[in-house]
Amino acid sequence: MGGEQARILIVDDDPIIRRFVGTLLAHNGYEVHEAEDGEAGLRMAASLLPRLVVLDLVMPYKDGFEVINGLKDDPSTRLIPILILSVKDREEDVVKALNLGADDYMIKPFSTQELLARIRKILERTAQGGRGA
Amino acid sequence: MHDILIRLIAGTGALLGGLTLLIAFNKASREALDRRRRALLEPVIYEYANASGHRAIHDYLPKPLSRRDRRLAEAVLLDAASVVKGESRDRITAAFEALGSVRHSILHLRSQRWWKRAEAAERLGLMRSRAAVEPLVAAMNDPVGEVRIRAARALGIIRGSASIRPLVLALTDPSRWSAIRVAEILIGTGAEAVEELLAAYDSLPHHARISALDVLGRIRSLKAAGLIRKALKDPSPDIRARAANALGHVGDPGFAADLTDTLRDPEWPVRAMAAKALGRVGGRSAIAALCEAIKDRQWWVRSNAAEALRLLGPAGRDALVRMLDADDTYARHQAVAQLEEGRIIDEYLADLASADPARRESAIGFVEKIIRLERVDHLTQQAIDHAQEGVRLALLKILQRPPQGAS
Repeated sequence: MGGEQARILIVDDDPIIRRFVGTLLAHNGYEVHEAEDGEAGLRMAASLLPRLVVLDLVMPYKDGFEVINGLKDDPSTRLIPILILSVKDREEDVVKALNLGADDYMIKPFSTQELLARIRKILERTAQGGRGA
Repeated sequence: MHDILIRLIAGTGALLGGLTLLIAFNKASREALDRRRRALLEPVIYEYANASGHRAIHDYLPKPLSRRDRRLAEAVLLDAASVVKGESRDRITAAFEALGSVRHSILHLRSQRWWKRAEAAERLGLMRSRAAVEPLVAAMNDPVGEVRIRAARALGIIRGSASIRPLVLALTDPSRWSAIRVAEILIGTGAEAVEELLAAYDSLPHHARISALDVLGRIRSLKAAGLIRKALKDPSPDIRARAANALGHVGDPGFAADLTDTLRDPEWPVRAMAAKALGRVGGRSAIAALCEAIKDRQWWVRSNAAEALRLLGPAGRDALVRMLDADDTYARHQAVAQLEEGRIIDEYLADLASADPARRESAIGFVEKIIRLERVDHLTQQAIDHAQEGVRLALLKILQRPPQGAS
């Protein structure tokens, strides 16, 4: 972490996922925030400007695809990297999410070590490229 | 007397009301306590699941562990078990074993009440402990079907050869098992089931071999290709048909030659399955054989062969267009049906309004062939509905011409 507490926003309607991933990330030195649906996720992303959004696709009110669009449409959040964490495992969903602007895609159930490694990689990449808050 | 009766009723009502309130209050306070305890336990259990050291679950939980906390810890672990895989998942299984949850559920497999046995089987599947394999195998002989199927599902989740072998054997007893449900469980286990199915195949009865071929095909393992190819030569036409279907599911283009040979099988269900499978396997080498199969005396073979050609891409579509000139009437009709189904006819129709005279002429020739085959329903509809006016007018003009030569 290099002493820096990178801020990560988890957007998922499943409280188990939010709390499980939240505990995992907090124990690995990240500052974690949680949003329980897409609308709250967009609001919190705009106000918190996290370094990364971990995003579910299947959610009430606004699904994950709409959240990606919302984040990319807003100049203040369009550079925030997005990691999709979803049960949707169909090729077309993965391709659609990546085409809309997601940076990575993981399917539930997931390996915690793999999730941490991917998050680390995204944060390194965006730190070098000067992306994110 | 009347007064006493009213007092009695009022007293009983008040007593019942009071009892109801007491029960509701008791339930609400128990739930509130559960929520508070769960909120305390959850972070430490998640911390345990996400850790990579050797500390056991008991090192994370409060001591001594009350019955309530043990129950809540089990519930938290069951929730977490459904979201993670890998090392964290293995640690969750170790926690179930350390907390005695596995042993407890195994005991419940012997409950007098069948629903408790069914619940225990399901929980053991989520716990994924190898210690549960033997009791779950025994539960596959439970007198209640629901318990048997949940035990089978649990074994499918736990996996490993000791779990999968009894599932393969379950395919042999159609009186106690739904072959479809067992097959679905085996398919869910993926590649691990292949070795067991290959080892058991020769000892399986006829109906179980059919299910085994279906499972091997759906798992799409190339390891099974040798056995499935061999089954194409089986004396039983049912087996040969399922083997052809399975090769189609595995989908390797290397199977095209075997399936092309199978198009000459004496039994039409086998030929029909081979034709269908060729549509999945692909390969230009199959096109000539499929063009012959469109002329088969059995409708299913003709239909599957025409569909397979449509699925084989541009070369297959060209073959369907060539089939419009075939000697065989049925073959020509099948070709039209698939050209319609694949919207290939519509591509030609769009060319009726093309600025390129060569494309226009080719489209007119194509439409005239369809008209000569007296398959004009789609064309007539397009002459009314097509989005381009040029196409509608050109099509109308061709349809109103007197027929030029019968087919």
